[in-house]
Amino acid sequence: MTAARGGDLKIELGRRYRFAASHRLHSAQMSEAENARIYGKCNNPCGHGHNYTVEITISGDVDPATGMIANLADLDNFVQREVIDPFDYRSLNDEVEVFRAEVPTTENLCIEIYRRVRAFPHAKLERVRVEETSNNSFEYAGEEVFSGSDEAL
Amino acid sequence: MVLLTRKIEFSASHRYNNPALSAEENQRIFGKCNNPHGHGHNYTLEVTVAGEPDPVTGMVVDLADLKKILEQEVMRRMDHRHLNFEVPELAGQIPTCENVARVIWNLLEPKIPQGRLHRVRLYESPDLFADCYRNGAGRNGSAS
Repeated sequence: MTAARGGDLKIELGRRYRFAASHRLHSAQMSEAENARIYGKCNNPCGHGHNYTVEITISGDVDPATGMIANLADLDNFVQREVIDPFDYRSLNDEVEVFRAEVPTTENLCIEIYRRVRAFPHAKLERVRVEETSNNSFEYAGEEVFSGSDEAL
Repeated sequence: MVLLTRKIEFSASHRYNNPALSAEENQRIFGKCNNPHGHGHNYTLEVTVAGEPDPVTGMVVDLADLKKILEQEVMRRMDHRHLNFEVPELAGQIPTCENVARVIWNLLEPKIPQGRLHRVRLYESPDLFADCYRNGAGRNGSAS
């Protein structure tokens, strides 16, 4: 705790985006009966959809000339191109390459969005949070978060 | 350790403009935030204090004290004000969400009477916010 108190000030910027998409939870590694048992109504063969909310959090030095970690328009354009355009009003199973092999749970969606937004060149990606509905949300911050090196509790 | 969060709302106007840059550069970088007449937001501020509950009162910090501090340090300075012209702590800085959050952190940190300031989260709109915390203490307070 004492160390945390003396730490430098850190600033992060959070930005929320929305997209709507359909998916079906079904694993080719399990039988029809197992899929139905594990995924329940999410295994409906015809699929279903959600209004997703994506929260992107970035960090970095605040540029004294602009007062910003990164230009918001740059972040918006990047996320629009890499995440919203390829996902919005799409079938995640049929139209997003990675979900041909992986089950498009929101856990996996979080990881995929993290992988895409990590390439944003103007700031460090801290974490991705996805709300599948207003009651279910998922968060991924890369694997280094589990090293425990910067946990203060 | 327990985290306690108090939320307040204030409304203020601002403009993004760096006098060291040309009018064209300001327009290119800041877009509509560079509108010469300024514009405003309803800000939501979440202030999180960390500490152990006092064995007698059961409180991490007395909320009445915290409310007074927020009124004194934030509301009186920023509510229904123009951030560029009326908040001396922001002089010479672009009043972005990042900079306003840092100024609020610096105003509040020395005033917290019990526990310690853990995180300041400032929403400029429901879809844009800045978090400020001491390095190493962030993720534990990021539950939202």
